[in-house]
Amino acid sequence: MGVEIIGKMKFRAKLVDVGCLNHFTRVVNTISKLTKTCTLRLTTDNLFFMLSDKVANGGVSMWCELSQANFFDEFQLEGVSAEANEIYLEFQPENLSRALRTAQNAKSLKIKLTKKHCPCLTLAAELPSLSSVSRVVTHDIPVDVIPRRLWQDLKEPNVPEFDVSIYLPPLKTMKNVVDRMKNLSHHLVVEANLSGEMNLKIETDLVSVSTHFKDLGNPSWGDDASQGPSQDRAAEAMACARVDIKKLQQFLASQQVNPSKAMCNIVNKRMLHFILLHEDVSLQYFIPAVA
Amino acid sequence: MPLSTQSEAGDDQYVLVASLDNAKNLSNILKAITFKDHALFNATANGLKVTVEDSKCLQANAFIQAEIFQEFTIQEDSVSFQVNLTVLLDCLTIFGGSTVPGVTTALRMCYKGYGFPLTLFLEEGGVVTVCKINTQEPEDPIDFEFCSTNVTNKVILQSDSLKEAFSELDMTSEILQITMSPSQPYFRLSTFGNAGNAHYDYPKDSDMMELFQCTKTQTNRYKMSLLKPSTKALALSCKVSVRTDNRGFLSLQYLVRNDDGQICFVEYYCCPDEEVEEE
Amino acid sequence: MMHVSTERQRASATFQKFSQWLRESEARNGGFWGYSEVWYYGKQNNGTAIDLQTEIQSDAPHTTCEDRTSHKMDCMVTGGNVKVLAKAIHSLSRIGEELYLEPQEDGLALRTVNSSRSAYACFLFAPLFFQKYVPGRNPTFRCKMAVKCVQAVFRSLSSLEKTVERCHIELNVEKSRLTFTLHCKHGLLKTHNLSFQDSESLQAVFDKDSCPNILQAQPRLLVDTVLHFPPSLEEVSVSVSGERVWFRNHVEEEAERSRAMLTELCISAEEFEQFAVSAPTRITFCLKEMRGLLMFAESSGLPVSLYFDEPGRPVVLSLTDSVLEVNFVLATLSEESHPQNHDNTNTDRRARPPPPPDDFMNDDMDFLIAMETTELAAGGSGCSPPQAQDAGMSQLRTRAASEGEEEEEDREEEAEDTGRPPNKKFRSLFFGSVLPTSSQATNQTLRSQDVLASDSEDEDPESS
Repeated sequence: MGVEIIGKMKFRAKLVDVGCLNHFTRVVNTISKLTKTCTLRLTTDNLFFMLSDKVANGGVSMWCELSQANFFDEFQLEGVSAEANEIYLEFQPENLSRALRTAQNAKSLKIKLTKKHCPCLTLAAELPSLSSVSRVVTHDIPVDVIPRRLWQDLKEPNVPEFDVSIYLPPLKTMKNVVDRMKNLSHHLVVEANLSGEMNLKIETDLVSVSTHFKDLGNPSWGDDASQGPSQDRAAEAMACARVDIKKLQQFLASQQVNPSKAMCNIVNKRMLHFILLHEDVSLQYFIPAVA
Repeated sequence: MPLSTQSEAGDDQYVLVASLDNAKNLSNILKAITFKDHALFNATANGLKVTVEDSKCLQANAFIQAEIFQEFTIQEDSVSFQVNLTVLLDCLTIFGGSTVPGVTTALRMCYKGYGFPLTLFLEEGGVVTVCKINTQEPEDPIDFEFCSTNVTNKVILQSDSLKEAFSELDMTSEILQITMSPSQPYFRLSTFGNAGNAHYDYPKDSDMMELFQCTKTQTNRYKMSLLKPSTKALALSCKVSVRTDNRGFLSLQYLVRNDDGQICFVEYYCCPDEEVEEE
Repeated sequence: MMHVSTERQRASATFQKFSQWLRESEARNGGFWGYSEVWYYGKQNNGTAIDLQTEIQSDAPHTTCEDRTSHKMDCMVTGGNVKVLAKAIHSLSRIGEELYLEPQEDGLALRTVNSSRSAYACFLFAPLFFQKYVPGRNPTFRCKMAVKCVQAVFRSLSSLEKTVERCHIELNVEKSRLTFTLHCKHGLLKTHNLSFQDSESLQAVFDKDSCPNILQAQPRLLVDTVLHFPPSLEEVSVSVSGERVWFRNHVEEEAERSRAMLTELCISAEEFEQFAVSAPTRITFCLKEMRGLLMFAESSGLPVSLYFDEPGRPVVLSLTDSVLEVNFVLATLSEESHPQNHDNTNTDRRARPPPPPDDFMNDDMDFLIAMETTELAAGGSGCSPPQAQDAGMSQLRTRAASEGEEEEEDREEEAEDTGRPPNKKFRSLFFGSVLPTSSQATNQTLRSQDVLASDSEDEDPESS
């Protein structure tokens, strides 16, 4: 077997604040509800949870970015090489979610990259105990290290040239409506205009249902090129996309944290691009349109 | 009312318009009779009656009087249509099953007549949903010919005591046997399942027994699969009356209080299981 | 109820050997009362239970109906004890499908065994547990029923304590039914007439007192422990040293092992009410069955004791108070099913449980990434020298703290590595080694490329 050593990697981090631990856990829970497998990218400043738009995912893709300093007290990383000081791992977020779940009352949580039976992300939590000696729970989560030559496929997606950008109504309301609509239809049309109006519509042989949201507001994107097509747009003209209702429902059901800002960019008949922003986490989710 | 901006030009095109400030006052009671997909709606000046039937042996009716509605306008003596009940319930609860206390979904239900869909306007927190549900040809409901003069035995119980029994019923038993008698065991529910048999006895002097009028000893058997759905109505109710007539037909009537404390009724009629001779 | 065997049986005893012993001991002790079937638990390396049973006919004659009429079983349970009885039945339902009920002189025994005969549970309620206890005289009534049927009598645990005043259990001879009558508030009477089958007595042979290892803890501690493992986890490994205990999920299938998430909880002996360990040991048994006991233990508040010996011999989980004795006997995996090198990093811990990870942050796990460049003809053996200067890097070894252990592990890892096909997937990972041993000539090349990692893996048993 021919091999070439390209470098060594090291990663370890420590988290002691209960609030940060809870927040981090909720982010991971959200990711685990969105996808079975995803890519974790570690840099010195950030963590990224990524899912690229393969056929296996039904065309959805996801990009979630966390600023590590807002969560971890210690964070040390040595990537594959000096100029590529990053680590890409593929793993099952459900495992991480499960490991974090039982560590919510931990005094401290340490995460590091290890080699056990295979490469692993090892979490060790120090838990309260009845004696002077803490209980320690260790979880070894198997990961696959993604070689550098595949990194180019995992770049941050560009904001698409959208036709309408609109702030979302309260996610809970949207979720309740989409939950019911899912019982009635396989597809749903999302439409919105630059007057802050958004409609969710389904239509089948048995029933048609449309829910109308008003006064949502439209975010301004500054002088981006993407503003171009929408500048000529009539205020009431709706841009729409027809999507698989299960994917939209899954996205809405996965949210564990209330975002400070939530918006949707619609590329007419092509795609829905959701952006959810919190203080220290941003999540982008892309759902393709179906015919 | 916010929904008035949603109505189409001229309400007089509708033969039926019914409005509720709290859609749950309709959806909750309909849940108590949702064991089949289709329901018959019949509206008269008295109010709304919704009927669901199963294999010509069981009939459930929900009555929502006109007084329960904030608006109830009917242009004909009787308006009937058939509609998919599960779809209707999904629409009535479009803003979610459980809501924040104090926040309700307002409903306006409109029907233009034969051949037209049933239109619902629902509003909560400024968000409006419009639903158009296709209707079908109404079928005549079965008349069980159950009248008070033929009632042989009647008891009225507080629902709480029966709720537990119904939820524990041995589902491996194909039948539910009801014994009513002026003497022991007074009122008994029995099952005959794989494990053996089980009996739930309510004495006539129990403080859960509000009325006890039994003239003769009667034991009747009913198909469990037909009666089990009545558990939903029982769960919603505060009192239930159990009556049997000289043919062994069973009438269960449930007194339901809605969110605003108003009273509605649900009733179930069931034929005895003919495979077994009366004991 | 519990038969104390005077001879230790090895888990690998053959059927013939065991039943031979049994016949001899029967002859010595003049036979056991009401005893017709005995099970001893052990598991072979493929995980199936050894079913060592012998059929010894009960010498009690079959009785006629008339005999039994005047001696029928009749018991009454009142108040909070109804819920205790109900919880016991729910707990038994987690182990087996049939409930064996036997009213004995020393109390009512409720027992079950699972279908593979690798788990046995017994609840013995003393006469004082009952407001009235009439077991019925000889011949003793013994029966078995589907546990689901008995559970149906006590379906809703939460409403039981609110509504049930007393529970009457009696044998209805004429109709061959065991009748459970619940007298509830508001005059409501619930009567369940359950059919049953006459049965043999169900007994397990085990000897708690001769177990060298005993742990006792409040149920809360064990409940908190199992919370760390998913409900679907089948088996758990428990390792003990003089000062600590480790709970680990056990991964059975070879194929799964490389992809399974491993969870380990380490608890200090100080948290236990009793902690007697004769020698470091590791046993593996079914977690689901232990959860069955814990669901009862948690509500009882009684401390749970674990009695165990070496792998292959059953573990007994037990709780007692003045009116109740509960024993769960679970088979453990025998030594043959713990292969030496199935996990290269978490190596054999039977003799050497790992040290606590006190210096987690300092024991780094650095490792190298190797990428397949071209397919060269090098073999998979760890010892082959590199084919080319910058390629063909062969496998490196970990360094253990002590030389002796290091070599042993080296050999283990080497053995495992040679098992890999030469053209492994490109994502291979290797350890870096700091101090090359004489067998690691290739490290010289590695060093020159300056990609050595620092210390060894933290799981290596450190020599003290």
